Amino acid sequence: MTEMEIIEQINTSLAEEFELNREVLKPEALILDDLELDSLDIVDMVVVLENTFQFKIREEEALREIRTLGDIHNFVLNKSTEIVN
Amino acid sequence: MGSKATNGKSLVGSCLAVPLMNLTVFPLILLWTALGIFLFPVGFVIWKIITRWDADRIMRQFVWIYGRGWLLIMAPFVRFKRVGVAAGKFKPPCILVVNHFSFFDTYCMAMLPFSDAVFAIRAWPFKMFWYAPFMHLAGYLNVENMEWRKISETTDNIISKGGALLFFPEGHRSRNRQLQRFYSGAFKLAIETGARVVPLCLNGTDELLPPGRWWLRPARVTLKALDPVDPKNFTGDGAHRVMCKVVREMMARSLGEMTTEICSHSPVPIAADGCQHPVLPEGREFPTL
Repeated sequence: MTEMEIIEQINTSLAEEFELNREVLKPEALILDDLELDSLDIVDMVVVLENTFQFKIREEEALREIRTLGDIHNFVLNKSTEIVN
Repeated sequence: MGSKATNGKSLVGSCLAVPLMNLTVFPLILLWTALGIFLFPVGFVIWKIITRWDADRIMRQFVWIYGRGWLLIMAPFVRFKRVGVAAGKFKPPCILVVNHFSFFDTYCMAMLPFSDAVFAIRAWPFKMFWYAPFMHLAGYLNVENMEWRKISETTDNIISKGGALLFFPEGHRSRNRQLQRFYSGAFKLAIETGARVVPLCLNGTDELLPPGRWWLRPARVTLKALDPVDPKNFTGDGAHRVMCKVVREMMARSLGEMTTEICSHSPVPIAADGCQHPVLPEGREFPTL
């Protein structure tokens, strides 16, 4: 998968799971304030990403640093690169 | 179908009804609220002596009575209707989920056949200083600021005692009269406790007082209870999310039908302008509650 395909896959999964409008899915969108996800949604989001990309991330320390949708993109892209290497 | 003359008369009635409603209802609500605040301590003590109920339950009973007063004040201008909300249809323990179109949605919960429902709400209503002490005393949950563990424990306690918990799963009022996405907390709690979820569809309060408008307009308000949803039918990791989507779908469908039904009864198309509102409600259905 290319970077663009991975980003598209992330956005599609989140839009479907959380019924988000595609227009708000911009890299700079804050997860809590702009996407209006709550703490439970964030737990569910981790599960959605794990199921979509078939890797475990719930114990990752870097998850705590995520604030924006762009952070999620970067996190998954880095994780995918890590797995490939 | 009404004749032109009938429609014209209705329009005049509506034009007068809007100022009349706003000039009478707001002062009466203020008076009712002030009376409630000042008389509550005496009422609370008397109720406590007679019933020996816990303080939070007494407070919820008084909140419900306050809501019934609000319904009475509104009744000359608002036609209230309940569908499937008879006392026998659903009983606590349960988790109630209601759509959210207006500030007055919480007041409409006095249309429920029981008073003992704990509201699970966001932080901002607790900032209304004139209501906040009563909300705290009633044991309402501030789901925005509480830890999930505490919310879960409190819910378990309420449900095990046979109580009801009430959520507005959209989190805030809809600004486009469409059902918004649901937060899944209520459904996660239902899965955890095994409590059934009762979807409640509230239609018409967006006509009465939508977000962004400060004046009232006559309306038909309907509270419809859908069939309870059993959490046992949902299993696996994302069970609460699936349940959340199923219930939202049920409510969206039902609200769509309710809106179509109301529009088909309106002799004049509903418009934003108060003077173009359909006929003033003719009768009072409130006493049948």
